[in-house]
Amino acid sequence: MSLSSALSIAQSALLSTSKQTSVVSRNVSEAQNANYSRRQAVVSSTAPGARVVTIQRSASEQLLRQYVSALSSSTAQTTLLAGVGSLTTSVNGVDNTSSPATLMGKLQDALQLYSATPSSEILAESVVEAARQLVSALNNGSKAIQTFRAETDAQLGEAVDKLNSLLADFHNANRQVISDMQAGRDVSDALDRREAFLKQIAEFVPVTTMTRENGDMVLMTGDGTMLYETSPRTISFDRTIVYTAGTDGKAVYIDGIPLAAGNGGNTSASGKISALLQLRDDVAPAMQSQLDEIARGLITVFEETEPSGANAAPGLFTWSPPPAALTAGTLEKGLAAGIRINPAVEADPTLLRDGGINGAAYVWNASGGASYTALLNSYGDRLSDPIAFDASVGIGSSTTVANYASNAVGWVEALRQTASYAAETKEALLTRTGETLSNETGVNIDHEMTLLLDLEHSYQASARLLQAVDEMLASLLAAVR
Amino acid sequence: MKTNFVSSYAVSSALRHRLMQMQTDLVKAQKEATTGAVADTGLALGSRTGKLVSLQREVDSLQGMIVSNGLVSGRLNATQEALNRLRTVAEDFASTLTAGISSNSDVTVATTAANGVLETMTAILNNSLNGEYLFAGIDTDIPPFKDFTTAVPATFDTAFQSHFGFAQDDPQAVNITGADMETFLSTVIEPSFLDDSSPAPNWKTEWSNASDQKVVNRISLSERVESSTNANSEGVRRLAMAAASASALLTETMSVEAKAAVLNNALSQVGAAIGRITSEQTQFGIAQNRIKSANDRLEAQKDLFQRSALDLKGVDVAEAATRVSTLLTQIETSYALTARIQNLSILNYLT
Repeated sequence: MSLSSALSIAQSALLSTSKQTSVVSRNVSEAQNANYSRRQAVVSSTAPGARVVTIQRSASEQLLRQYVSALSSSTAQTTLLAGVGSLTTSVNGVDNTSSPATLMGKLQDALQLYSATPSSEILAESVVEAARQLVSALNNGSKAIQTFRAETDAQLGEAVDKLNSLLADFHNANRQVISDMQAGRDVSDALDRREAFLKQIAEFVPVTTMTRENGDMVLMTGDGTMLYETSPRTISFDRTIVYTAGTDGKAVYIDGIPLAAGNGGNTSASGKISALLQLRDDVAPAMQSQLDEIARGLITVFEETEPSGANAAPGLFTWSPPPAALTAGTLEKGLAAGIRINPAVEADPTLLRDGGINGAAYVWNASGGASYTALLNSYGDRLSDPIAFDASVGIGSSTTVANYASNAVGWVEALRQTASYAAETKEALLTRTGETLSNETGVNIDHEMTLLLDLEHSYQASARLLQAVDEMLASLLAAVR
Repeated sequence: MKTNFVSSYAVSSALRHRLMQMQTDLVKAQKEATTGAVADTGLALGSRTGKLVSLQREVDSLQGMIVSNGLVSGRLNATQEALNRLRTVAEDFASTLTAGISSNSDVTVATTAANGVLETMTAILNNSLNGEYLFAGIDTDIPPFKDFTTAVPATFDTAFQSHFGFAQDDPQAVNITGADMETFLSTVIEPSFLDDSSPAPNWKTEWSNASDQKVVNRISLSERVESSTNANSEGVRRLAMAAASASALLTETMSVEAKAAVLNNALSQVGAAIGRITSEQTQFGIAQNRIKSANDRLEAQKDLFQRSALDLKGVDVAEAATRVSTLLTQIETSYALTARIQNLSILNYLT
């Protein structure tokens, strides 16, 4: 141990202190970055006096996995909730004011009033007007649902494009990690970048990871489909531009395997893509079927028969494209978009009172009296009689039309309620795991500042050492001169 | 040495998150405090929202039925009043006829009275309410009672002529006995008024345009009521027959017996008519009662449904208001704390 070794020790101390300071400053600058993991400088002695500073990156595999899975879950749930909320508002209106259920009540009231004073043409017109509003609610609701499906399809297209580009970015980051590790360079930055892309990918599909020894990461979806393995797998999706009630959307294929849609209000879907598929293929078509059944119920109730009761034909409500006849108790897709007011009744509302919408054989009011109430009363009775509905639609198989419409409202609100509660839970889980992950791997500025204080002192001490040794050598050399 | 580490990012984002949550709750609580109903019925009720929609619809429909019952009631009241007046007319005519029979006075008194009865009858029977003729059955846009002044006596004259072979004011009319006159009245005149299948001229062709069908109205979910009468009822026919025969068949040239027969027949017809009109009035009274009790029941049902709906979506306003003020205090405290915590940094103490 000589003075020169003291000098070189102080020199290496200065070097390591400055390296540690750079770590501290990097930490402080990235304190608010959620995708940054705290770096720690670990000083180790290789030989007496020689120090090596290695940079350790704080990470927790388990917490990251929890966070990523919570992220997928929560994104899927919020997507579902937002979709269901927007569907409800566009079909049923705010507070259900323009739902078919409410408007059917208005039609019933108008009919009752008309039957009390059947000679009034104004009241006849008001019945037709109430029917018109009901028809327009069904038509517009249908249109809104199919527009929603088309928009969801567009969103799916965007999501798949984004996912493909994210996988390409992930590929680059992964290759960077492998090459850095091979070359022995500091790999922390590359790891941070790769993790950031992983989190973004997890928003779209649920991801399970597996890390190999050389730092390579393999990505799979929750049900085992390969997403990335040394190269990204293709995710393909064919857009459907126009939707009608009978149209089925195309599936999203990951590596050739179709991605499953979620189901239920507390959705089993994970990741935005599954949730969008659920909205497009499950929720929206269910609502469309309900509207179609309501339309069929209305057409059936207001059918006109001959006074003997035979030869039922479309009465107040008719529909525009074929088929020619409706089967009782069977869903007819697209009926809600095609239901119309019968043009004969629009031209002459008193046909509701007298009959004869379908020709002279259907006239009930043979004497032509202006206060004939039997037909109007029979419509009122039919509205309170149960009819058969298609059980596969799932909201009732034998009930009145009005109750069926209320059941439809109840169904969608139950779904929204479940989705909302689940969204709260999943978001709380996400927040909690995010906090825990951040606490584990994030930066605390006060902590870094205190480290900096220590480093300052140690730098001062080393500098002082240098000065002291320098003075000692100078005095020695002065003695020999 | 490892203690529980807290990162700056976690601290600040947690504070932000809590703040956003409280603000959302505040908006919801404020809406509930002002409207007294839950802020989002769908979220609060779930599948029971369907029940709420049904209840609200039922309340509206019951209210609508109460209103339409009011219309039907109005029609019943007006008809009842008209029937009253008709009965009064009939009773007055009966007393005039009685006086005519007992005093055997000039027939012109009875004839004038009969004409007056026919005119009043026309006015009463052609009464309308809101553009609907009350006595027309379901043909409410056509006046039920024809204008009789020229046609009726002509048909009587024709009938008299064809039965007896001469006119009423022919000198041979004095030979008509009481029995002959009674036969004439019961075999020719009565069927033409009472029997719709008798050959023309009969009641339907000469007197009434009314339809036989009565207006039936729905007054509650399961009840129907007949809410109109028509001019083809028996009381009206008999009264018209009495007045018409007294007006067209009495002439100076007839024998006292024949005149007495006509007057007696008219009197008995009027008596029967009063009886029938009274029984119709009773029926209408019953119908009016039915409507009133139906309305009472509908009101009670409506109240029940309104209370059920309120149970489903109602919120205690006082509790909601308390919640609003608690949240406001919490938010203000949270603002103060957030500011203090963010200001807490060791950098403030490093010179």
